[in-house]
Amino acid sequence: MSETFNNGSLGLYLIAGAIILFVLVQSIFFLVKAWKQGKKLGLDKSKLRNAVTSSALFTIPSALSVLATVIALAPALGLVIPWVRLSVIGNLMYETTAAEAAMEAFGHTGGIANAVTDPTVYAGIAWVMTLGICFSLVILPFLAKPLHKKFMAASNKEASAEAAPADGKKKRTIGEFINKFATPAIFIGLIGAFIARSINGRGALDDNKQPIFGDGDGAGVLSVCTLIVAIVFSILLEILVKKLKLTWLEPFIMPIGMIVAMIAAIILYNVLPADIATFEWRG
Amino acid sequence: MAKNKTEKSYFDRVHSWGRISSVTALCILLMFPMAICLYLDVSPDIKFILQGLLKLIPTYWTVAVVEVLVYTPMLGAGGTYLSFVTGNIANLKLPCAISAMEGAKVKANSEEGEVISTIAIATSAIVTTIVLAIGIIAFAPFLDSFTKSPLLKPAFDQVIPALFGALGAGYFIKHWRISFFPIIIMIIVLVFSPGMGASTLLFFGIVASVGGALAMHKLGWLDNVKD
Repeated sequence: MSETFNNGSLGLYLIAGAIILFVLVQSIFFLVKAWKQGKKLGLDKSKLRNAVTSSALFTIPSALSVLATVIALAPALGLVIPWVRLSVIGNLMYETTAAEAAMEAFGHTGGIANAVTDPTVYAGIAWVMTLGICFSLVILPFLAKPLHKKFMAASNKEASAEAAPADGKKKRTIGEFINKFATPAIFIGLIGAFIARSINGRGALDDNKQPIFGDGDGAGVLSVCTLIVAIVFSILLEILVKKLKLTWLEPFIMPIGMIVAMIAAIILYNVLPADIATFEWRG
Repeated sequence: MAKNKTEKSYFDRVHSWGRISSVTALCILLMFPMAICLYLDVSPDIKFILQGLLKLIPTYWTVAVVEVLVYTPMLGAGGTYLSFVTGNIANLKLPCAISAMEGAKVKANSEEGEVISTIAIATSAIVTTIVLAIGIIAFAPFLDSFTKSPLLKPAFDQVIPALFGALGAGYFIKHWRISFFPIIIMIIVLVFSPGMGASTLLFFGIVASVGGALAMHKLGWLDNVKD
Protein backbone atom coordinates (compact mmCIF):
# COMPACT_ATOMS: atom_id res chain seq x y z
CA MET A 1 0.00 0.00 0.00
CA SER A 2 1.95 2.99 -1.22
CA GLU A 3 -0.83 4.84 -2.98
CA THR A 4 -0.15 8.59 -2.88
CA PHE A 5 -2.87 11.16 -2.26
CA ASN A 6 -3.37 14.89 -2.09
CA ASN A 7 -3.11 15.99 1.55
CA GLY A 8 -4.19 19.48 0.53
CA SER A 9 -7.43 18.67 -1.30
CA LEU A 10 -10.46 20.94 -1.05
CA GLY A 11 -12.44 18.26 0.81
CA LEU A 12 -9.86 18.07 3.60
CA TYR A 13 -9.77 21.85 3.86
CA LEU A 14 -13.58 21.96 4.13
CA ILE A 15 -13.53 19.38 6.96
CA ALA A 16 -10.90 21.48 8.77
CA GLY A 17 -12.80 24.71 8.06
CA ALA A 18 -15.97 23.37 9.72
CA ILE A 19 -14.06 22.53 12.90
CA ILE A 20 -12.24 25.87 12.99
CA LEU A 21 -15.60 27.63 12.54
CA PHE A 22 -16.86 25.98 15.75
CA VAL A 23 -13.86 27.34 17.68
CA LEU A 24 -14.57 30.82 16.35
CA VAL A 25 -18.28 30.69 17.20
CA GLN A 26 -17.57 29.42 20.72
CA SER A 27 -15.00 32.16 21.35
CA ILE A 28 -17.35 34.87 20.06
CA PHE A 29 -20.16 33.49 22.27
CA PHE A 30 -18.03 33.69 25.44
CA LEU A 31 -16.69 37.11 24.45
CA VAL A 32 -20.20 38.54 24.04
CA LYS A 33 -21.46 36.99 27.30
CA ALA A 34 -18.45 38.26 29.27
CA TRP A 35 -18.74 41.72 27.70
CA LYS A 36 -22.43 41.95 28.71
CA GLN A 37 -21.58 40.77 32.23
CA GLY A 38 -18.81 43.36 32.43
CA LYS A 39 -21.27 46.10 31.54
CA LYS A 40 -23.72 44.74 34.11
CA LEU A 41 -21.00 44.89 36.76
CA GLY A 42 -20.35 48.51 35.84
CA LEU A 43 -16.88 47.92 34.39
CA ASP A 44 -15.67 50.90 32.40
CA LYS A 45 -16.12 50.37 28.63
CA SER A 46 -12.53 51.51 28.03
CA LYS A 47 -11.30 48.72 30.36
CA LEU A 48 -13.22 46.13 28.35
CA ARG A 49 -11.99 47.59 25.05
CA ASN A 50 -8.40 47.70 26.32
CA ALA A 51 -8.64 44.03 27.32
CA VAL A 52 -9.59 43.19 23.71
CA THR A 53 -6.93 45.41 22.10
CA SER A 54 -4.06 44.39 24.37
CA SER A 55 -4.94 40.69 24.10
CA ALA A 56 -5.12 40.90 20.31
CA LEU A 57 -1.71 42.61 20.11
CA PHE A 58 -0.24 40.21 22.67
CA THR A 59 -1.53 37.23 20.67
CA ILE A 60 -0.29 38.08 17.16
CA PRO A 61 3.41 37.15 17.62
CA SER A 62 2.57 33.97 19.54
CA ALA A 63 0.03 33.07 16.87
CA LEU A 64 2.84 33.45 14.34
CA SER A 65 4.90 30.92 16.30
CA VAL A 66 1.90 28.56 16.27
CA LEU A 67 1.78 29.11 12.51
CA ALA A 68 5.50 28.28 12.41
CA THR A 69 4.73 24.92 14.08
CA VAL A 70 1.99 24.24 11.52
CA ILE A 71 4.57 24.95 8.81
CA ALA A 72 7.15 22.75 10.60
CA LEU A 73 4.73 19.82 10.49
CA ALA A 74 3.59 20.57 6.94
CA PRO A 75 6.37 18.73 5.03
CA ALA A 76 5.15 15.44 6.58
CA LEU A 77 1.42 16.00 7.04
CA GLY A 78 0.44 18.86 4.76
CA LEU A 79 -1.38 21.80 6.31
CA VAL A 80 -4.80 20.37 7.23
CA ILE A 81 -4.00 18.10 10.21
CA PRO A 82 -1.52 20.54 11.84
CA TRP A 83 -4.00 23.39 11.29
CA VAL A 84 -6.84 21.60 13.08
CA ARG A 85 -4.64 20.12 15.77
CA LEU A 86 -3.10 23.50 16.63
CA SER A 87 -6.46 25.28 16.56
CA VAL A 88 -8.31 22.87 18.88
CA ILE A 89 -6.59 22.03 22.22
CA GLY A 90 -3.27 21.95 20.36
CA ASN A 91 0.05 23.07 21.70
CA LEU A 92 3.46 23.75 20.17
CA MET A 93 5.12 20.92 22.09
CA TYR A 94 2.38 18.32 22.18
CA GLU A 95 1.57 18.26 18.49
CA THR A 96 5.12 17.69 17.28
CA THR A 97 5.54 14.89 19.83
CA ALA A 98 2.17 13.35 18.98
CA ALA A 99 2.95 13.46 15.25
CA GLU A 100 6.31 11.76 15.86
CA ALA A 101 4.70 9.05 18.05
CA ALA A 102 1.99 8.38 15.46
CA MET A 103 4.52 8.23 12.61
CA GLU A 104 6.72 5.82 14.57
CA ALA A 105 3.74 3.54 15.28
CA PHE A 106 2.82 3.44 11.59
CA GLY A 107 6.43 2.75 10.59
CA HIS A 108 6.94 6.13 8.91
CA THR A 109 10.70 6.68 9.12
CA GLY A 110 12.47 10.02 8.99
CA GLY A 111 10.10 11.86 11.32
CA ILE A 112 8.43 15.12 10.46
CA ALA A 113 10.88 15.98 7.66
CA ASN A 114 9.52 13.25 5.34
CA ALA A 115 6.13 13.36 3.62
CA VAL A 116 3.43 10.86 4.59
CA THR A 117 2.25 9.52 1.25
CA ASP A 118 -0.04 6.69 2.34
CA PRO A 119 -3.64 7.86 3.04
CA THR A 120 -4.19 5.08 5.60
CA VAL A 121 -1.14 6.19 7.58
CA TYR A 122 -2.29 9.81 7.24
CA ALA A 123 -5.72 8.97 8.68
CA GLY A 124 -4.10 6.86 11.44
CA ILE A 125 -1.89 9.79 12.43
CA ALA A 126 -5.02 12.00 12.65
CA TRP A 127 -6.59 9.45 15.03
CA VAL A 128 -3.51 9.19 17.27
CA MET A 129 -3.02 12.96 17.45
CA THR A 130 -6.71 13.54 18.23
CA LEU A 131 -7.20 10.79 20.82
CA GLY A 132 -3.88 11.58 22.49
CA ILE A 133 -4.79 15.18 23.19
CA CYS A 134 -8.53 15.07 23.95
CA PHE A 135 -8.49 13.88 27.58
CA SER A 136 -8.67 17.35 29.10
CA LEU A 137 -12.04 17.86 27.41
CA VAL A 138 -13.28 14.59 28.94
CA ILE A 139 -12.42 15.56 32.53
CA LEU A 140 -13.05 19.31 32.32
CA PRO A 141 -16.88 19.13 32.58
CA PHE A 142 -16.51 17.12 35.81
CA LEU A 143 -13.61 18.98 37.44
CA ALA A 144 -13.83 22.65 36.44
CA LYS A 145 -16.87 23.65 38.51
CA PRO A 146 -15.88 22.04 41.85
CA LEU A 147 -12.28 23.25 41.42
CA HIS A 148 -13.38 26.77 40.63
CA LYS A 149 -15.75 26.89 43.61
CA LYS A 150 -13.07 25.56 45.95
CA PHE A 151 -10.62 28.16 44.69
CA MET A 152 -13.11 30.99 45.13
CA ALA A 153 -13.74 29.84 48.71
CA ALA A 154 -10.04 29.33 49.44
CA SER A 155 -9.05 32.72 48.00
CA ASN A 156 -11.01 34.43 50.78
CA LYS A 157 -8.67 32.85 53.30
CA GLU A 158 -5.59 33.57 51.18
CA ALA A 159 -4.37 36.56 53.14
CA SER A 160 -4.25 34.76 56.47
CA ALA A 161 -2.68 31.66 54.89
CA GLU A 162 0.12 33.77 53.44
CA ALA A 163 1.29 34.87 56.87
CA ALA A 164 4.72 33.58 57.94
CA PRO A 165 4.72 30.16 59.63
CA ALA A 166 4.67 30.38 63.42
CA ASP A 167 7.92 28.42 63.86
CA GLY A 168 9.72 30.61 61.30
CA LYS A 169 10.83 27.58 59.23
CA LYS A 170 9.99 27.30 55.54
CA LYS A 171 7.86 24.24 54.80
CA ARG A 172 8.60 22.60 51.45
CA THR A 173 5.38 20.73 50.81
CA ILE A 174 4.38 18.54 47.85
CA GLY A 175 1.47 20.94 47.30
CA GLU A 176 3.88 23.87 46.91
CA PHE A 177 6.00 21.77 44.54
CA ILE A 178 3.00 20.90 42.34
CA ASN A 179 1.86 24.50 42.33
CA LYS A 180 5.25 26.02 41.46
CA PHE A 181 7.41 23.44 39.73
CA ALA A 182 5.41 20.45 38.41
CA THR A 183 4.24 22.12 35.20
CA PRO A 184 7.61 23.71 34.27
CA ALA A 185 9.34 20.39 35.08
CA ILE A 186 6.97 18.50 32.76
CA PHE A 187 7.45 21.13 30.04
CA ILE A 188 11.24 20.93 30.40
CA GLY A 189 11.02 17.12 30.13
CA LEU A 190 9.02 17.48 26.90
CA ILE A 191 11.20 20.20 25.37
CA GLY A 192 14.35 18.41 26.57
CA ALA A 193 13.46 15.27 24.59
CA PHE A 194 13.70 17.20 21.31
CA ILE A 195 16.79 19.07 22.44
CA ALA A 196 18.53 15.83 23.47
CA ARG A 197 17.68 14.31 20.10
CA SER A 198 19.18 17.33 18.35
CA ILE A 199 22.38 16.74 20.34
CA ASN A 200 22.67 12.98 20.22
CA GLY A 201 19.81 11.41 18.21
CA ARG A 202 19.98 9.32 15.05
CA GLY A 203 17.83 9.97 11.97
CA ALA A 204 16.18 7.53 9.56
CA LEU A 205 17.79 4.22 8.59
CA ASP A 206 18.25 3.02 5.01
CA ASP A 207 16.65 -0.13 3.53
CA ASN A 208 19.45 -2.23 5.07
CA LYS A 209 18.74 -0.74 8.51
CA GLN A 210 21.99 1.25 8.41
CA PRO A 211 22.28 4.92 9.48
CA ILE A 212 22.35 7.48 6.66
CA PHE A 213 25.02 10.13 7.30
CA GLY A 214 24.66 13.71 6.05
CA ASP A 215 20.96 13.69 5.13
CA GLY A 216 20.13 16.39 7.69
CA ASP A 217 17.83 14.46 10.03
CA GLY A 218 20.33 13.28 12.68
CA ALA A 219 22.34 15.02 15.38
CA GLY A 220 25.39 16.74 13.97
CA VAL A 221 27.24 20.02 13.53
CA LEU A 222 24.28 21.81 11.97
CA SER A 223 21.64 20.63 14.49
CA VAL A 224 23.82 21.55 17.49
CA CYS A 225 24.79 24.94 16.03
CA THR A 226 21.13 25.72 15.24
CA LEU A 227 20.12 24.71 18.76
CA ILE A 228 22.85 26.88 20.34
CA VAL A 229 21.90 29.89 18.21
CA ALA A 230 18.20 29.46 19.10
CA ILE A 231 18.86 29.20 22.86
CA VAL A 232 21.58 31.86 23.12
CA PHE A 233 19.81 34.38 20.88
CA SER A 234 16.48 33.93 22.69
CA ILE A 235 18.12 34.27 26.11
CA LEU A 236 20.06 37.40 25.04
CA LEU A 237 16.88 38.88 23.62
CA GLU A 238 15.02 38.13 26.85
CA ILE A 239 17.76 39.82 28.92
CA LEU A 240 17.70 42.83 26.58
CA VAL A 241 13.91 43.06 26.84
CA LYS A 242 14.09 42.99 30.66
CA LYS A 243 17.01 45.46 30.91
CA LEU A 244 15.53 48.00 28.49
CA LYS A 245 11.95 47.29 29.67
CA LEU A 246 10.84 46.57 26.10
CA THR A 247 7.72 44.68 27.22
CA TRP A 248 6.12 45.00 23.76
CA LEU A 249 8.95 42.85 22.37
CA GLU A 250 8.47 40.04 24.92
CA PRO A 251 5.93 37.98 22.96
CA PHE A 252 8.16 38.16 19.85
CA ILE A 253 11.18 36.50 21.52
CA MET A 254 10.24 32.92 20.64
CA PRO A 255 9.35 33.46 16.96
CA ILE A 256 12.38 35.75 16.44
CA GLY A 257 14.71 33.20 18.13
CA MET A 258 13.36 30.41 15.96
CA ILE A 259 13.62 32.35 12.69
CA VAL A 260 17.14 33.61 13.50
CA ALA A 261 18.25 30.02 14.24
CA MET A 262 16.76 28.78 10.95
CA ILE A 263 18.57 31.57 9.06
CA ALA A 264 21.78 30.60 10.91
CA ALA A 265 21.30 27.01 9.68
CA ILE A 266 21.14 28.23 6.07
CA ILE A 267 24.20 30.47 6.49
CA LEU A 268 26.27 27.76 8.22
CA TYR A 269 25.27 25.16 5.62
CA ASN A 270 26.56 27.45 2.86
CA VAL A 271 29.61 28.91 4.64
CA LEU A 272 31.11 25.84 6.34
CA PRO A 273 33.04 23.26 4.27
CA ALA A 274 30.52 20.64 3.06
CA ASP A 275 32.04 17.75 5.02
CA ILE A 276 31.74 19.75 8.28
CA ALA A 277 28.29 21.24 7.60
CA THR A 278 26.76 17.85 6.84
CA PHE A 279 28.70 15.95 9.52
CA GLU A 280 26.36 13.84 11.70
CA TRP A 281 27.86 11.75 14.51
CA ARG A 282 24.94 9.35 14.79
CA GLY A 283 23.75 9.24 11.17
CA MET B 1 -26.15 40.16 49.18
CA ALA B 2 -27.92 40.86 45.91
CA LYS B 3 -24.56 41.05 44.18
CA ASN B 4 -23.65 37.68 45.66
CA LYS B 5 -26.78 36.19 44.11
CA THR B 6 -25.96 37.68 40.68
CA GLU B 7 -22.39 36.40 40.99
CA LYS B 8 -23.60 32.87 41.70
CA SER B 9 -26.00 32.80 38.82
CA TYR B 10 -23.41 34.20 36.39
CA PHE B 11 -20.80 31.61 37.41
CA ASP B 12 -23.40 28.84 37.25
CA ARG B 13 -24.40 29.92 33.76
CA VAL B 14 -20.75 30.04 32.66
CA HIS B 15 -20.25 26.50 33.92
CA SER B 16 -23.37 25.30 32.07
CA TRP B 17 -22.22 26.93 28.81
CA GLY B 18 -18.71 25.64 29.39
CA ARG B 19 -19.82 22.06 29.96
CA ILE B 20 -22.02 22.07 26.86
CA SER B 21 -19.29 23.63 24.71
CA SER B 22 -16.60 21.23 26.01
CA VAL B 23 -18.71 18.16 25.21
CA THR B 24 -19.63 19.61 21.80
CA ALA B 25 -15.95 20.39 21.09
CA LEU B 26 -14.99 16.84 22.06
CA CYS B 27 -17.59 15.36 19.69
CA ILE B 28 -16.54 17.68 16.84
CA LEU B 29 -12.88 16.93 17.48
CA LEU B 30 -13.48 13.17 17.29
CA MET B 31 -15.41 13.65 14.06
CA PHE B 32 -12.24 15.05 12.44
CA PRO B 33 -10.30 11.76 12.02
CA MET B 34 -13.60 10.02 11.29
CA ALA B 35 -14.32 12.46 8.47
CA ILE B 36 -10.78 11.99 7.10
CA CYS B 37 -11.28 8.19 7.04
CA LEU B 38 -14.61 8.55 5.25
CA TYR B 39 -13.29 11.14 2.81
CA LEU B 40 -10.16 9.14 1.92
CA ASP B 41 -12.06 5.83 2.15
CA VAL B 42 -9.46 4.21 4.41
CA SER B 43 -9.54 2.40 7.76
CA PRO B 44 -6.21 2.48 9.60
CA ASP B 45 -5.22 -0.57 11.65
CA ILE B 46 -6.37 -0.12 15.26
CA LYS B 47 -3.26 -1.96 16.43
CA PHE B 48 -0.99 0.83 15.12
CA ILE B 49 -3.28 3.53 16.50
CA LEU B 50 -3.08 1.91 19.95
CA GLN B 51 0.69 1.57 19.61
CA GLY B 52 0.96 5.31 18.95
CA LEU B 53 -1.48 6.14 21.74
CA LEU B 54 0.37 3.99 24.26
CA LYS B 55 3.34 6.31 23.88
CA LEU B 56 1.23 9.42 24.39
CA ILE B 57 -1.47 8.52 26.91
CA PRO B 58 0.69 8.03 30.04
CA THR B 59 2.21 11.49 29.56
CA TYR B 60 -0.53 13.46 27.85
CA TRP B 61 -3.42 12.26 29.99
CA THR B 62 -1.43 12.84 33.17
CA VAL B 63 -0.48 16.31 31.94
CA ALA B 64 -4.17 16.91 31.11
CA VAL B 65 -5.15 16.22 34.75
CA VAL B 66 -2.29 18.37 36.07
CA GLU B 67 -3.19 21.19 33.68
CA VAL B 68 -6.86 21.18 34.65
CA LEU B 69 -5.89 21.27 38.33
CA VAL B 70 -3.23 23.99 37.90
CA TYR B 71 -4.80 26.28 35.29
CA THR B 72 -8.46 26.30 36.37
CA PRO B 73 -7.87 28.56 39.40
CA MET B 74 -5.72 30.91 37.32
CA LEU B 75 -7.95 31.24 34.26
CA GLY B 76 -11.37 31.62 35.87
CA ALA B 77 -14.46 29.67 34.79
CA GLY B 78 -15.11 31.03 31.28
CA GLY B 79 -11.41 31.32 30.52
CA THR B 80 -10.82 27.70 31.56
CA TYR B 81 -13.45 26.23 29.24
CA LEU B 82 -12.31 28.38 26.33
CA SER B 83 -8.61 27.75 26.91
CA PHE B 84 -8.94 23.99 27.06
CA VAL B 85 -10.84 23.94 23.77
CA THR B 86 -8.46 26.27 21.95
CA GLY B 87 -5.16 25.11 23.51
CA ASN B 88 -1.78 26.84 23.76
CA ILE B 89 -2.55 27.66 27.39
CA ALA B 90 0.90 28.05 28.99
CA ASN B 91 2.52 29.90 26.10
CA LEU B 92 -0.42 32.09 25.10
CA LYS B 93 -3.79 32.06 26.92
CA LEU B 94 -2.51 32.24 30.50
CA PRO B 95 -0.01 35.10 29.97
CA CYS B 96 -2.64 36.88 27.90
CA ALA B 97 -5.26 36.63 30.68
CA ILE B 98 -2.79 37.67 33.39
CA SER B 99 -1.59 40.65 31.35
CA ALA B 100 -5.19 41.80 30.65
CA MET B 101 -6.16 41.50 34.34
CA GLU B 102 -3.05 43.46 35.36
CA GLY B 103 -3.86 46.10 32.75
CA ALA B 104 -7.46 46.41 33.99
CA LYS B 105 -6.25 46.36 37.65
CA VAL B 106 -8.68 43.59 38.64
CA LYS B 107 -8.04 40.52 40.80
CA ALA B 108 -8.04 37.04 39.28
CA ASN B 109 -10.45 35.68 41.87
CA SER B 110 -13.06 38.45 41.51
CA GLU B 111 -16.04 38.57 39.16
CA GLU B 112 -14.42 41.51 37.36
CA GLY B 113 -11.29 39.39 36.91
CA GLU B 114 -13.42 36.56 35.58
CA VAL B 115 -14.94 38.88 32.97
CA ILE B 116 -11.63 40.42 31.87
CA SER B 117 -9.91 37.00 31.75
CA THR B 118 -12.71 35.56 29.58
CA ILE B 119 -12.60 38.57 27.23
CA ALA B 120 -8.79 38.28 26.93
CA ILE B 121 -8.82 34.55 26.25
CA ALA B 122 -11.73 34.76 23.79
CA THR B 123 -9.96 37.56 21.90
CA SER B 124 -6.73 35.60 21.90
CA ALA B 125 -8.51 32.50 20.54
CA ILE B 126 -10.22 34.52 17.80
CA VAL B 127 -6.98 36.27 16.77
CA THR B 128 -5.01 32.99 16.75
CA THR B 129 -7.68 31.31 14.62
CA ILE B 130 -7.71 34.21 12.16
CA VAL B 131 -3.88 34.46 11.96
CA LEU B 132 -3.65 30.69 11.36
CA ALA B 133 -6.39 30.73 8.73
CA ILE B 134 -4.85 33.68 6.85
CA GLY B 135 -1.36 32.19 7.15
CA ILE B 136 -2.49 28.81 5.87
CA ILE B 137 -4.56 30.16 2.99
CA ALA B 138 -1.69 32.46 1.98
CA PHE B 139 0.95 29.80 2.50
CA ALA B 140 -0.74 26.73 0.98
CA PRO B 141 0.04 27.52 -2.70
CA PHE B 142 3.74 28.01 -1.90
CA LEU B 143 4.18 25.14 0.53
CA ASP B 144 5.94 22.78 -1.85
CA SER B 145 8.27 25.36 -3.34
CA PHE B 146 9.00 26.62 0.17
CA THR B 147 9.80 23.36 1.95
CA LYS B 148 11.54 21.76 -1.04
CA SER B 149 13.66 24.76 -2.05
CA PRO B 150 17.38 23.76 -1.99
CA LEU B 151 18.21 27.12 -0.40
CA LEU B 152 15.72 26.70 2.46
CA LYS B 153 16.18 22.94 2.93
CA PRO B 154 18.82 23.27 5.71
CA ALA B 155 16.45 25.58 7.63
CA PHE B 156 13.52 23.15 7.41
CA ASP B 157 15.82 20.19 8.24
CA GLN B 158 16.79 22.03 11.43
CA VAL B 159 13.35 23.32 12.37
CA ILE B 160 13.18 21.09 15.49
CA PRO B 161 16.35 22.42 17.19
CA ALA B 162 15.35 25.97 16.14
CA LEU B 163 11.79 25.63 17.48
CA PHE B 164 12.57 23.84 20.73
CA GLY B 165 15.74 25.84 21.40
CA ALA B 166 13.76 29.09 21.17
CA LEU B 167 10.81 27.66 23.09
CA GLY B 168 13.05 26.16 25.78
CA ALA B 169 15.12 29.34 26.30
CA GLY B 170 12.35 30.99 28.33
CA TYR B 171 12.12 27.96 30.63
CA PHE B 172 15.90 27.52 30.89
CA ILE B 173 16.50 31.10 31.94
CA LYS B 174 13.87 30.86 34.69
CA HIS B 175 14.26 27.21 35.67
CA TRP B 176 17.92 26.54 34.82
CA ARG B 177 18.41 24.62 38.06
CA ILE B 178 15.94 21.91 37.03
CA SER B 179 16.81 21.92 33.30
CA PHE B 180 20.28 20.38 33.11
CA PHE B 181 19.58 17.06 34.83
CA PRO B 182 16.78 15.72 32.55
CA ILE B 183 18.60 16.78 29.36
CA ILE B 184 21.83 15.06 30.48
CA ILE B 185 19.83 11.91 31.36
CA MET B 186 18.18 11.89 27.91
CA ILE B 187 21.52 12.41 26.14
CA ILE B 188 22.88 9.41 28.08
CA VAL B 189 19.80 7.34 27.10
CA LEU B 190 20.48 8.24 23.45
CA VAL B 191 24.08 7.01 23.77
CA PHE B 192 22.65 3.52 24.27
CA SER B 193 19.60 3.88 22.01
CA PRO B 194 20.34 6.60 19.41
CA GLY B 195 17.24 5.89 17.31
CA MET B 196 14.77 6.33 20.18
CA GLY B 197 12.00 8.70 19.06
CA ALA B 198 11.23 11.88 20.98
CA SER B 199 7.85 10.53 22.08
CA THR B 200 9.50 7.57 23.87
CA LEU B 201 12.46 9.60 25.09
CA LEU B 202 10.28 12.14 26.82
CA PHE B 203 9.23 9.54 29.43
CA PHE B 204 12.81 9.49 30.66
CA GLY B 205 12.88 13.28 30.42
CA ILE B 206 9.72 13.86 32.43
CA VAL B 207 10.60 11.30 35.11
CA ALA B 208 14.11 12.79 35.45
CA SER B 209 12.80 16.35 35.32
CA VAL B 210 9.97 15.94 37.86
CA GLY B 211 12.05 13.62 40.09
CA GLY B 212 15.07 15.93 39.98
CA ALA B 213 12.98 19.04 40.60
CA LEU B 214 11.19 17.39 43.54
CA ALA B 215 14.52 16.38 45.10
CA MET B 216 15.88 19.93 44.65
CA HIS B 217 12.69 21.38 46.13
CA LYS B 218 12.97 19.12 49.19
CA LEU B 219 16.66 20.05 49.57
CA GLY B 220 15.73 23.72 49.47
CA TRP B 221 17.68 24.47 46.26
CA LEU B 222 14.63 26.05 44.67
CA ASP B 223 13.66 28.31 47.56
CA ASN B 224 14.74 31.49 45.77
CA VAL B 225 12.90 30.76 42.51
CA LYS B 226 10.17 33.36 42.00
CA ASP B 227 6.75 32.54 40.49
